[in-house]
Amino acid sequence: MKILEEYAGALTNFEVLDFLRSKVNGKDPKTQLSPSEFKVYDYLEQTAASVQTRDIVNKFINECKSYDLAPAEILNIINIRPASEVEVYTIIEDCENRSGIDTEKLVETVVQVLPAPPTEMEHDEGAAANEEEAVANEEETADKDQNEVTA
Amino acid sequence: MFRLSEIEHTFRLPPHRLDRPLAEAIKGELESLFVDKVIAYLGLCISIYDIRSIDGGFVFPGDGASTYTVKFRLIIFCPFVGEVIAGRLIDSTDEGLKLSLGFFDDIHVPVSKLPQGSCSETDPDNKGKVRWMWNYGDGQKFPIDNLDEIRLRVHDVRYPKVPLEQESSSKNEEESSSKNEEESSSKNEQKSRSKKPFAPMEIMGFLDCDGLGPISWWV
Repeated sequence: MKILEEYAGALTNFEVLDFLRSKVNGKDPKTQLSPSEFKVYDYLEQTAASVQTRDIVNKFINECKSYDLAPAEILNIINIRPASEVEVYTIIEDCENRSGIDTEKLVETVVQVLPAPPTEMEHDEGAAANEEEAVANEEETADKDQNEVTA
Repeated sequence: MFRLSEIEHTFRLPPHRLDRPLAEAIKGELESLFVDKVIAYLGLCISIYDIRSIDGGFVFPGDGASTYTVKFRLIIFCPFVGEVIAGRLIDSTDEGLKLSLGFFDDIHVPVSKLPQGSCSETDPDNKGKVRWMWNYGDGQKFPIDNLDEIRLRVHDVRYPKVPLEQESSSKNEEESSSKNEEESSSKNEQKSRSKKPFAPMEIMGFLDCDGLGPISWWV
């Protein structure tokens, strides 16, 4: 094995997820994800990448040009989607001493351009709603049974 | 977190793969060779991105298969130093935390890299495990648990060398001391504690910074 180019380009989480999705939904139904690929797919579906699209990411990169950010920092922001200033501080190196960055504005652009990831709360609520439905159904059937008995 | 790397590899294409078109057969063989493997000083291979060129097809004398030289690109998982990633807690001991990304389980946060003023408490539910708490000045304590994702900054990515030999000498010692049961059992305990399965790639994390740690601390 020979490594021709160690660094042939960075990928955002979204691009990897997009690649795996296209592999699943490709023309050939025989191609399947290997177990390890599926784990990656599973992890990425829970991150902010799951709701991003190519247009959104491109738009965000264009918006970022007005800030003095390194490419790696833009990549990290797209992957993490920081929704508050304190989260931005961790990603951007030496944030306080860099003049070109207005963190407040940056957070605003992030929140505006990048969609919020599906939170666990929503999942839980959905599950709870389903449970409630199930309970309601059970009650209905129980009522029916009772009715039958009384009849 | 992910990147592409271009690799050239010469390998033997086993004949049982030839029921598919050549490109697919080669891709299948490359997947079995590389996917879910760590290449030292490069990273963990996630998937074959594309195949750039296929050369060769030479059959060596006495060999029942053809040999190809293929140039291809791989999706590699290798977070850069300073990157912020989010994982989940899978183990918490007095040596620090162990986190997982689901597909990668060897992320360690040593005690020295935990938030300043962290203290540990023995976990009443799990024997031998501890629960780490962040002591935030005014007596408030924030536990580090596996309820939500934990953000960490990558401090270092290590590729430990593959151990060449099993520790045979220590085994002999164990046998010789087996007469004294108490001694051997205490030794075994020590061993099981220090014994870690070999990991070809380890990420060392860093939590001591505002904005890092469980997401619920900051949001």
